[in-house]
Amino acid sequence: MGITDKLSHSQHDHDPPDVLGDLMRGTLDHCVKCTICETFCPVANVTPLFPGPKTVGPQAERFRVRGEESQDHSLDYCSGCGVCTQVCPQGVHIAEINTQARAKLKERDGFSLRDRIIARPPLLGRAGTPAAPLVNKTLASRPLRLLGEKLIGVHHAAAVPTFAGRTFQGWAKKHQSPPATRRVAYFHGCGANWYEPVVGEKTVGLLEAIGCQVDVPRGQSCCGLPLQSNGQFDAARRYVRTMAKRLAPAARAGVDILGTSTSCTLMLKREAREILDLMEDPDLKVVSEHMYDICEYLVMLHDRGELALELQPLPMTVTYHAPCQQQGHGIGKPALELMALIPELTVIENDAVCCGVAGTYGIKVEKYEIAANVGRGLFDQIEDARPDLAVCDSETCRWHIEGSTGVRTVHPLEIIHRAAGLSSDAELRAPA
Amino acid sequence: MKPDVVVVGAGLAGLSAAVRLAEAGASVRVLAKGVGSTHLGAGTIDVLGYDADGGRVDRPLEALGGLPAEHPYGLVGRAGVSAAIEWFKGRIADGPRAPYAYVGDAEQNVLLPTAVGAVAPAGVVPETMVGGDLRGGGRVCVVGFRGLKDFFPALVADNLSRGPDGVTARGVELDLRPEGRADPNALAYARAFDDEGFRAEVVAQLVARVAPDELVAFPAVLGLVSPHEVWAEMEHRFGRAVFEIPTLPPSVPGIRVYTTLAQLLTRAGGRVVLNNVITGAERSGDRVRTLRVRVGLREVTYEPEWVVLATGGFSAGGLALDSSWVTHEVALGLPVAGAPAPGNERFGADYFGGQPMDRVGVRTDHEQRPVGEDGGRVVENVLVAGATLAGAAPWREKSGDGIALATGLRAAELITGDAAGHVGDVATAGA
Amino acid sequence: MTTISTEVLVIGGGATGAGVAWDAALRGFDVILVDRADLAEGTSGRFHGLLHSGGRYVVKDPVAADECVAENPILRRVIPDCIEDTGGLFVTTPEDDPAYGDQFLAGCQRAGLPTEEIGVDDALRMEPRLNPGIKRAFTVPDASIDAWKTVWSLARGAAQHGARVLTYHAVVALHKDGDAVTGARVRDELSGEELDIEAGFTLNASGAWAAQIVKLAGIEGIGVIPGKGIMIAMNHRLVNTVINRCTMPADGDILVPIRTVSVIGTTDMREADPDELPVTQAEVDQMLADGERLVPGLLQARALRVWAGVRPLWQDERSGEQATDTRDVSRTHAVVDHSARDGTRGLLTMSGGKLTTLRLMAQDLVDAMCKQQGEDRPCTTADVRPPGNEDGDLYTLGSRLRRREGTQQQEQLICECELIGRTKLEETMRRRGTQNLDDIRRSLRLGMGPCQGGFCIYRAAGILHGTGRLDGAQATASLTSFLSERWHGMWPILYGDQLRQARLDDWIFQGLLGVQHLPPANGDGRVEAPAQETVA
Repeated sequence: MGITDKLSHSQHDHDPPDVLGDLMRGTLDHCVKCTICETFCPVANVTPLFPGPKTVGPQAERFRVRGEESQDHSLDYCSGCGVCTQVCPQGVHIAEINTQARAKLKERDGFSLRDRIIARPPLLGRAGTPAAPLVNKTLASRPLRLLGEKLIGVHHAAAVPTFAGRTFQGWAKKHQSPPATRRVAYFHGCGANWYEPVVGEKTVGLLEAIGCQVDVPRGQSCCGLPLQSNGQFDAARRYVRTMAKRLAPAARAGVDILGTSTSCTLMLKREAREILDLMEDPDLKVVSEHMYDICEYLVMLHDRGELALELQPLPMTVTYHAPCQQQGHGIGKPALELMALIPELTVIENDAVCCGVAGTYGIKVEKYEIAANVGRGLFDQIEDARPDLAVCDSETCRWHIEGSTGVRTVHPLEIIHRAAGLSSDAELRAPA
Repeated sequence: MKPDVVVVGAGLAGLSAAVRLAEAGASVRVLAKGVGSTHLGAGTIDVLGYDADGGRVDRPLEALGGLPAEHPYGLVGRAGVSAAIEWFKGRIADGPRAPYAYVGDAEQNVLLPTAVGAVAPAGVVPETMVGGDLRGGGRVCVVGFRGLKDFFPALVADNLSRGPDGVTARGVELDLRPEGRADPNALAYARAFDDEGFRAEVVAQLVARVAPDELVAFPAVLGLVSPHEVWAEMEHRFGRAVFEIPTLPPSVPGIRVYTTLAQLLTRAGGRVVLNNVITGAERSGDRVRTLRVRVGLREVTYEPEWVVLATGGFSAGGLALDSSWVTHEVALGLPVAGAPAPGNERFGADYFGGQPMDRVGVRTDHEQRPVGEDGGRVVENVLVAGATLAGAAPWREKSGDGIALATGLRAAELITGDAAGHVGDVATAGA
Repeated sequence: MTTISTEVLVIGGGATGAGVAWDAALRGFDVILVDRADLAEGTSGRFHGLLHSGGRYVVKDPVAADECVAENPILRRVIPDCIEDTGGLFVTTPEDDPAYGDQFLAGCQRAGLPTEEIGVDDALRMEPRLNPGIKRAFTVPDASIDAWKTVWSLARGAAQHGARVLTYHAVVALHKDGDAVTGARVRDELSGEELDIEAGFTLNASGAWAAQIVKLAGIEGIGVIPGKGIMIAMNHRLVNTVINRCTMPADGDILVPIRTVSVIGTTDMREADPDELPVTQAEVDQMLADGERLVPGLLQARALRVWAGVRPLWQDERSGEQATDTRDVSRTHAVVDHSARDGTRGLLTMSGGKLTTLRLMAQDLVDAMCKQQGEDRPCTTADVRPPGNEDGDLYTLGSRLRRREGTQQQEQLICECELIGRTKLEETMRRRGTQNLDDIRRSLRLGMGPCQGGFCIYRAAGILHGTGRLDGAQATASLTSFLSERWHGMWPILYGDQLRQARLDDWIFQGLLGVQHLPPANGDGRVEAPAQETVA
């Protein structure tokens, strides 16, 4: 080989554009049974009810025939955390195979009322917001939660968020973002909309402070991730297509879309396309190409020298847990890089693969104990550190961590917001 | 992050290089498709176990001289191998599992039993294994667990006793299962051993059964988080050498190495990012300027000063043979040496014999830069380390960890400028 | 020298021999079945896995087609557990002449073979990975059939009716008394001892080796052309329907989904010796290319294993037929009556045939024997199910997965790729009474999945050793011989994912375990002191 201008991409493409028809399933051929995925699986490590991602994924898939019933219920114990795919040295899309197989299993077995409800945050949001104080009281009442557990199957001790009683969308409608040269769009997600509008407001505020004009596209609904995780693929696709339609105009105009829910951004960036077989959907494609996790985006700007942010000292100690789905972005831990810019802030990086809740998984009565065991190591680390705050990019993880440790848990964005002088200590520590 | 150095691959070679670089102050990011060889290896650092004729090697540093001309050890020399071993031992001793430590050196091999009852040379080994050094024979009580299908004490004992090394062994099987599991793996047992209640059970069931002159061997499950504590307690309670025998993956000793190196890397400001796949690079002159990486469905680029390519061999996917019988270096398309042309024999009928494809890999010059067929350097700022290198058949020679460690470390030192000049003291055969 | 006697000696333990033993035992004969190796280790264990609808033969070989049409439903009725109803498609690829499809339809009609032409869109919906350029498609009742399950089921059925099945017993001589064959001398390949079998009648069902057997009776002028064909198993089911090219029979024109794999085959090359079946690079490349034509992208899928089987193509100099292309020889079967042809009584040979017609072949052979003996005992195999098929349900791919789901919390999974639990494995080891892991492989598919034994063979050797069947030397031998045997089927198709697997397995067996450095077997092996103590 002589000297060439480009060391181009080698002819051997390990994961070619799929010609075998099944993008995820075809990757099972790469499995060499090395067991690495099983050593990392947080669920298999705490319960024998789940035999492990390799077992229910590439291994069992060879025994599943399109059109024939899927046989193995142990598959349902997969939490969908996605760590297996990340650690697989051979490029098997294990978590994606599992999620697709679970959908087939559910198709056959049918969907419970509980799974239909908890997989539709907008439904819950719309139902709970008007009567928020009453609903919140109910959710805080142990006897009523015990009753709820019996009727619906959501564990009585599972951390559930408090309804804000207002929506972020409502705030955004009234908010005028000052014009600026850099334009971004904000994908707020259900978490910010119904439960944590303050997070959304802070996000907009911070972005404006660094010189962005923030557009909040109207009519944003749910990214469909809970539906996908619960095997309701047709409904999930409808949600995804709707979201994609709402965000596509911004993407087509070349505007980057930022999200504060790291699971939801991952869903639209990658998972929906791979798992729901929507690779070629034109709206979703352009949205996916412009979708960023908020910390990812801020670090990008920082790397380019374009992050115009003055950060004041923040003498506190915080722990940081990168949610499993944040890891799924494959971008490292940009939240840490951002917090490292804040003088006097001590950040303790937690060493845990998953907090256990995995979206809707850990609140289910039959999965709660498992989720608690998965998260135990993380909770111990946080408690031992005795931090002022715990930090985590995903809302369901925050609620789960806070519920289990009692430590107020915030989005990294809120730390930056505080250090930028845009909010006070009290506001930082205030419950959502 | 804009790292100075991108290390591709999170196996022993990649992680060693990354830690060395990060601790020297470089900003390092390790990009890897997934977790590497550590989880599958024995957890020992084998310099050289067998020579070209399959004969046991007793003194590996001396034996390096008998290796073929293009063997990767020729890149680092004896000094490089020794230095790498000492570095590794030092980092482990300094790491989060301290005082868990590795013992031994590159001068002298030990003889350790394998999980099938062979006796094999090993180099630098964890303290939890060194009690199994069978040079000089001995009596061993091999303990297994009915619940652990990846270790068969009776088979180990039977074969050890048959061997020429003066070892007599017998097997004992305990019926203890972590959490009552029906099908636990080595990792489940290792976690159980971290718990003192489980350890007490094990001791209770065994201590009266062990004969006075017997060593006690377990499969490699003596603790994941606190191996030193576990092993020390076992030795104390049994009052004799207790050791663990590496067995089928998942390799608990290997996992200890991985987590130690990954934590050292993070401590030094570096990071491993998984599910990142190198798809190519663009060069500017004789340097790679832009590294292209696929992350999920997106392509991102890095512009590092240096790239360390430690993507492994065929089993790791760093090298690949396609269905047209063409061999590739997967990440950057570097020239591959030693591969038979399509149409020529790649493998032979004898499974245990040498195969034409054995030593295929990327050939480099003495500064670990990849070279083409003419021997000329292909690119200035890419260094190759580990199993991607041509010239070794590590599974036959028992040399994989030594090669990974020594070449990974030297790659790092070539970048930091700390590398000694070409250490040509390995006078390889035919050189 | 021990002598045992029987009424009927069956030589050959493939599908034909097992079928004959079953048939004869059901008719009340006392039977001994011998094979020089394990059952189904010859052609039967190396075939494509296809239960023919007959579609392949309707144009060129109508007699064979008729036989398949008749036998296919019968086998589905009597050995359903060995058969998966995959259905089949005949497709006209871009290289094939679409007009052949009309001949095909006409041939099917004549043979009474149910077929239907469906739209290309429908075919692609059924099988999304099919070549989108196909021009015509026809459905047929093809199915896939597990040869080992079939042969073992028939053998066990025969044994239940009193037959003795002697594997690893090679025929070294045929005994004659005047002009009659009166039995054989066999050698136990495991112990080396020889044994005489007195038999009232001898049925030669040894397929590709049949000519070698008849020579032992001094019969000349008969040959079997070993027609070698290679097949490659791809790691997973690229299709779930049998795919046939709609054209005159050619190489590489069938892709069969059987159990967890899909098998592309086959070639047809005349060889000299049925025991020497080299797999050539050219054949491998050709099969992969043929597969790519049916399922684009197959070249990027994972090839698991390659093997060569041998068709027994009968050649009788006396009849004056000299086939040049082995494909031109009819695939139907015939009973060779040695008393008529050679003046030798007490011996009949089955020539030709295919696995799909095994029951009919057995019926014809045992009928011919009965006729010569003046026995009036009708065949009942069309209506009796041999063991393992009692519930009458056809095999489904998910059955092992379903079974595992039930035992997951109780027992260990030993062969993970093929979902074999410890209980079943130990049961089979006890029942087979074997020291050979390859025998277990044939019974259970141990080590036949993607890792090709990388993880499970160590475990199986340990378990076999632990059940007391093997000492250390024997366990070592069994392990290394399994590895060598498996390598034969791997190295010609070693590329891509399978090469990665092989290298990982090399690390495990050679680097980690060091099996090649185990002390060699040296005679009497067993250790003095008790090898193991179990602490409950």
